[in-house]
Amino acid sequence: MTEIDDLISKIVNNVQDASSSEPKPEPVKQATQALNREMTRDDYPLFQKHPEMVNAPTGKNVSEITLEAAINGQVKPEDLRISSDTLKAQGEIAKNSGREAIKSNMDRAAELTSIPDERLLEMYGSLRPYRSSKQELLDIADELQNKYNAVITANFVREAASEYEIRKKLKGDN
Amino acid sequence: MKRQKRFEEIEKRPVHLDGFVDEWPEEGFVAMDGPNDPKPSVTVRDGEIVEMDGKTEDEFDLIDKFIAKHSIKIENAEKVMAMDSVKIANMLCDPNVTREEIIPITTGMTPAKAADVICQLNFVEMMMAVQKMRPRKMPASQCHVTNIRDNPVLIAADAADAAFRGFPEQETTTAVARYAPLNAISIMVGAQTGRPGVITQCSVEEAMELSLGMRGFTAYAETISVYGTEQVFTDGDDTPWSKGFLASCYASRGLKMRFTSGSGSEVMMGYAEGKSMLYLESRCIFITKGCGVQGLQNGAVSCIGIPGAVPSGIREVLGENLLCMMLDIECASGNDQAFSHSDIRRTERLIGQFLAGTDYISSGYSSVPNYDNTFAGSNTDAMDYDDYYAMQRDLKINGGIVPVKEEDIIRVRNKAARALQSVFKGLNLPEITDEEVEAATYAFTSKDMPDRNMVEDMKSAQDIMDRGITGVDIIKSLYEGGFEDVADAVLKLLQQRIAGDFLQTSAIFDKDWNVISAVNNSNDYNGPGTGYHMEDELWEKIKNVPMAINPSDV
Amino acid sequence: MANEVNEDLLRKIIRQVIDEQRSNEKVVDFGTSNTDSPAVADKPKEVQPESNTTAPGMDAPLKLDWFKHVGPAKKGTSSDEVVIAVLPGFAEHMTENLKGVPHKEILRQTIAGIEEQGLKARVIKVYRTADVSFAGAEGDEYSGSGVAISIQSKGTTIIHQKDLEPLSNLELFPQAPVIDLDTYRAIGKNAASYAKGESPSPVPTVNDQMSRVQYQAKSALMHIKETKYVVPGKGPDEIEINFD
Repeated sequence: MTEIDDLISKIVNNVQDASSSEPKPEPVKQATQALNREMTRDDYPLFQKHPEMVNAPTGKNVSEITLEAAINGQVKPEDLRISSDTLKAQGEIAKNSGREAIKSNMDRAAELTSIPDERLLEMYGSLRPYRSSKQELLDIADELQNKYNAVITANFVREAASEYEIRKKLKGDN
Repeated sequence: MKRQKRFEEIEKRPVHLDGFVDEWPEEGFVAMDGPNDPKPSVTVRDGEIVEMDGKTEDEFDLIDKFIAKHSIKIENAEKVMAMDSVKIANMLCDPNVTREEIIPITTGMTPAKAADVICQLNFVEMMMAVQKMRPRKMPASQCHVTNIRDNPVLIAADAADAAFRGFPEQETTTAVARYAPLNAISIMVGAQTGRPGVITQCSVEEAMELSLGMRGFTAYAETISVYGTEQVFTDGDDTPWSKGFLASCYASRGLKMRFTSGSGSEVMMGYAEGKSMLYLESRCIFITKGCGVQGLQNGAVSCIGIPGAVPSGIREVLGENLLCMMLDIECASGNDQAFSHSDIRRTERLIGQFLAGTDYISSGYSSVPNYDNTFAGSNTDAMDYDDYYAMQRDLKINGGIVPVKEEDIIRVRNKAARALQSVFKGLNLPEITDEEVEAATYAFTSKDMPDRNMVEDMKSAQDIMDRGITGVDIIKSLYEGGFEDVADAVLKLLQQRIAGDFLQTSAIFDKDWNVISAVNNSNDYNGPGTGYHMEDELWEKIKNVPMAINPSDV
Repeated sequence: MANEVNEDLLRKIIRQVIDEQRSNEKVVDFGTSNTDSPAVADKPKEVQPESNTTAPGMDAPLKLDWFKHVGPAKKGTSSDEVVIAVLPGFAEHMTENLKGVPHKEILRQTIAGIEEQGLKARVIKVYRTADVSFAGAEGDEYSGSGVAISIQSKGTTIIHQKDLEPLSNLELFPQAPVIDLDTYRAIGKNAASYAKGESPSPVPTVNDQMSRVQYQAKSALMHIKETKYVVPGKGPDEIEINFD
């Protein structure tokens, strides 16, 4: 293995590599649901209006992410992630501001928070033109649905699979 | 022929170096209202679009399919499509009609209809419409921070310099792709030193760019390109679905994102399908809408030489910015690419967005001299600062930046270079010497920088990825290096990613990390006395250009 | 800024391309796989008297002594080669880059750069795409070392290596007008150096912000022309180069 090969394969691995560990499943406490109503533009910005709701997927509240904690090694990369609940709340705010399309993106994003970086990048790669067979895309859709409970995104990928077949963007079509 | 002397002299003017091309509609060399553009139409059956812009469902290509399914408010479509385009155009520039009244109409159109509406407007009417339709009430601008040697110390100093002048967003890229992690870290550290609250990005290959964001080296991304024909989209190595998925990936990691499109790209890439630039750009904007992406960088962007070469091209460019805003999408409005040899034409290019105000008047004001701009040069660069300040002052316009004092710039440049020095030390990257810090503080361009060992830098860039360095490590290094305030700014930036407030449309931060977006700062222009007004404090700054004579000194 | 634009030449080329296009009743669109070839306008085209010129895409390739097709390209196995993948219009439909540098000289210098490092150069012509990055990615597959240089007719050049995403690269030279023959040689040299497993310093980037302004329209025209020679699904041809 030459040095440059080594470097290249490292780059490749890294792009696909989850350096940070897999996010834990989200804890049950869900501030959004605790409020028991849809968020509106009056709840925005969440950081100022509802700081108690701004939790990382690990359950750590943003107020616990202090400089001292960071210096002392008490802040893990996964403590700095957005949670599925927060994304849903932001989606509701967008919808209430007249931007339903943004809500649809936020809803997909909320589903993707639990997928490790590495796998997420691979899935994106598989959706690029000429990368996957129809079955491979359908398998990804099943994985999204069954493993990550990402139903909306799964259907989005199924839709892609069917359109790629019609418009010849599947593996071997180029 | 015996030459007429005046003609001979005029031919020496810079404008004669610009490229002008006659229209060639068959290959897309037509700005708007192309002879082969489809006539607007829509048929809705059982809540689905089964015919659009002259094509039936079975004739739809990938882009038509995506737009028909995701991008149009179908419940309004047939009603809106029956409206006269002139009437809609009239509402757009009528100050008495608010943005809120127009959005339900414009979001129910097809791409051909939207383009048709734009074609009804002259340049000044477009400006009136832009003033009202931009989503965020307060205008702003974005800058480029690059240098052709990918010198990290200089990137940090230049980022601080630009942040101090007021750009709330900064974009870097690489001369050599492998430098990406270093450039991303350098611009972030520099920007937070110059003014906390600035967000930064590093434009590189799609998968790499997302990876940088995931690690906390960038806060947003912009160069996620979409194109108006299926062939060009495929050549760009994506589809509307893969881009839609990518958009959700960004949001899922708390990263702001906008797409990039722009007229001329399909011509540049060779497959314009004989359609006008505006129509193809309209399709891009609709794709963006359908992906649920909050924003778009458009306005020809790096392909400005194409619309700029054909008749009505610069009008078309403002038109496509307006079309973006009509669909309620954040608009970073181009002005980011060297466009003309003529200073008069450079100003012409800028004036529509500058006077009307957009979310980002420039999507890349070169904060460095164009010599160092690795985006191949911008329409305005660091050498134009004082002209730009004068224009803001002459016309009482907030063009997004404020005049500065030389001593302040020296101070923030030096501090940023030192802050990065401590980060490199803390992360065990190749040393940044005091000599480099000094050079970056006072540099004109990267020619003034001592050479670095680029091979070592590239290895260390790879090493950053291998070791799984994240934003938290940068915070630690800054803190240990004595830059507690910069460490705090980087921490606050990472906190914002948990809250996601800046994922909303047109979001930027002020120096105290207050988010300003189309949700809490929505454009309410409704004629004179309404909409955006410059606050007194800002006007005092804009008035106060250092080159002005104080009458009491005379 | 260096101003070497020959405006007359530019105009001539643009005119020529436009005239060629107009002179032909049928618009040929090899590139798009769409069956409903949208470039065919329903607008009636003026029928013009016979013209000597042929529309881009319809002209027969030039017969060249120095640039010969010797069958379909083979995948290389020796790690001491660098593949140079040229795009469909190169040498045989267009003969000079954007700035008027002959394709023959471009290849001569690039090959010399590779050989200077003690490696072998092998030239293939790609048909599947007109895109410099995708051609580079295809070149990698045929290169025994996994390193390829891809050169468009207009002169844009990339150094690519297998396992990189198609749109990523080792080094990219997007500004064709500022690539001179010395730079092509340096590109060849660096590509060979990567193939040997070394980490060369990247070829210095030259930046001339006004060159894009001057050349963008012409660049688009040359690229459009290149796309006319794309043949979807067709694998690359092996090219034998003979400078003697």
